[in-house]
Amino acid sequence: MSPLRARAAARTALTLTLLGALMLSALALAGCRRGGEASTTQLRVQGSTTIQPIAEMAKEMYEEAHPGVTVLVAGVGSSAGIESVASGSSEIGTSSRDLKPAEAGLGLVDTPIAHDAIAVIVNPANPVSGLSKAQVAAIFEGRIKNWDEVGGPDLEIGIVNRDEASGTREAFSKIVLGGKPFDPTAAVLPGTGQVRFVVAQARGAIGYISVGFVDKTVKALSVDGVEPTEANITNKTYPISRLLHFLTKGEPEGLAKEFLAFVLSPAVQETVVREAGFLPMGGEPK
Amino acid sequence: MTLRDEPAASTAPRADVADSRGPDAPTLSTISRSTYLKEAALKNLFLVCAFVAVAAVLLIFMFVGYRGWPIFAKTGLAAFLGGLQWQPTAEQPQFGILALIINSLIATLGGLALGAPLAVGTAVFLSEVATPRVREWVRPAVELLAGIPSVVYGLFGLLALRPIIAQASGGLGFGFATAWIVLAVMILPTIAAISEDALRSIPSGIREASYAMGATKWQTIWRVLLPAAKIGIIDAIILGMGRAIGETMAVVMVAGNAKVIPDGIFKPFLTLTTVIVIDMPYASGDHRTALFGVAIVLFLISMAFVAAIRVISRLGGEQS
Repeated sequence: MSPLRARAAARTALTLTLLGALMLSALALAGCRRGGEASTTQLRVQGSTTIQPIAEMAKEMYEEAHPGVTVLVAGVGSSAGIESVASGSSEIGTSSRDLKPAEAGLGLVDTPIAHDAIAVIVNPANPVSGLSKAQVAAIFEGRIKNWDEVGGPDLEIGIVNRDEASGTREAFSKIVLGGKPFDPTAAVLPGTGQVRFVVAQARGAIGYISVGFVDKTVKALSVDGVEPTEANITNKTYPISRLLHFLTKGEPEGLAKEFLAFVLSPAVQETVVREAGFLPMGGEPK
Repeated sequence: MTLRDEPAASTAPRADVADSRGPDAPTLSTISRSTYLKEAALKNLFLVCAFVAVAAVLLIFMFVGYRGWPIFAKTGLAAFLGGLQWQPTAEQPQFGILALIINSLIATLGGLALGAPLAVGTAVFLSEVATPRVREWVRPAVELLAGIPSVVYGLFGLLALRPIIAQASGGLGFGFATAWIVLAVMILPTIAAISEDALRSIPSGIREASYAMGATKWQTIWRVLLPAAKIGIIDAIILGMGRAIGETMAVVMVAGNAKVIPDGIFKPFLTLTTVIVIDMPYASGDHRTALFGVAIVLFLISMAFVAAIRVISRLGGEQS
């Protein structure tokens, strides 16, 4: 390379570097603004994988109705979602569990967006069709090990548990076991679909999944004599039920507020929420 | 190194080397400077290649060690390696990995017990029994087995094998039995390929001598060839063992992940590798450090395997 061309190249490189630096600082500035006052074109929604189907569908409908707005949805788990909204890396954090005491001081505002009930599922070939909540707890704690102890056939109970990152497990543990430890010999599967699949195939299996994901391959048990039907869940007689939450840092404002209102509108509640297998809030008092 | 070598090599040694060789031999003096530089550059390139591998091992070991070390200090080495309770999220967290170590060993040894005879049999078939035409079909099939991603083995195990085991055992189908079968198939190509190499490297004169003494094919294989290839086959088995103990994705899908030593081969279990996959997404603080501690243990186990191969190979070298 001749010295002249080398000089020219160096000058070009310098220009490019300067340009790059300018663009970077512009990006950084944009980033700052997004952190301070909410962006008007981009909304980040992160959290519970349970809520992800609702968030995804709502995102598509909202983007269609509001051209130019981008909603980014990520299913990273409830804990990660709460962390992301608290740290400002998302505007809305979604969670399928209540805030832990340690998370209460983060200044997060909770807006429930749907009911989610957890169904206790067994293999369709299992003649048992209902258990008391205490029996369910005893099974998952490992104190009842055979179906004949709860009126079923002489068949070993195969417990299918979720992994500890699961919001469903956290809710189930809190509502049913009262925080007591699960049977440590139980199988631990990372996903609702896997739990349902395994229960559908093993005669002695028992597991738990959100009511929205129950299908014909498994049988949902009644608990304390109450079937996990929509009516029983919205009127709160079905005992294993929880709320799904949208969390914002402080009162929702700007785009986050509009998106929340959209999710709570009948357009989403009566279609998306129902189709995802959850139950709408139904204007009940918070 | 380059800086010091270059000038010296381009001047003085030329004459020396040219003098020491016969007139017909190509000498360094006939090599142009540019060729010499090219050669030197290539030499350094290969040096860099080798260095990258060594540096990667060192860096990974240092990183894992740095992140995992505090857990040994916190819980004590004996409690970490000898504890049966893995309760990382309890109020009084406990980080004992003995159950996981034992489960890893049971899964590995069981898979090996099923897979190694199968693999050595395959190797004998390919090297001694099969006609070239049959070999042309069987060998690519075995090689293909090695190329299947482990997650595909896992899917196969979860969706196809586990339901059958569940039917047969009356349980959920997760457990050592399922993992053994999956691992056996996974390590088969590794062991088969290296064992076949070992068998093929036996000079054909040895086979001929055996046949000349009236030995049958079976006697030749059993009494002559397998003992002769013993060292290579043991190396192959240890390599297969390394693959089995480190296997993660396939095992996580068929193991069921219960953090206890199960009381049967049809009961769920958790291993050293799968605990990292299952726990890492939500682990924080000491829990995360403990997972790095598990990684250190895995690292040491594979180092032990490599060392074992080296020692055995050396013994073999002295023997022959």
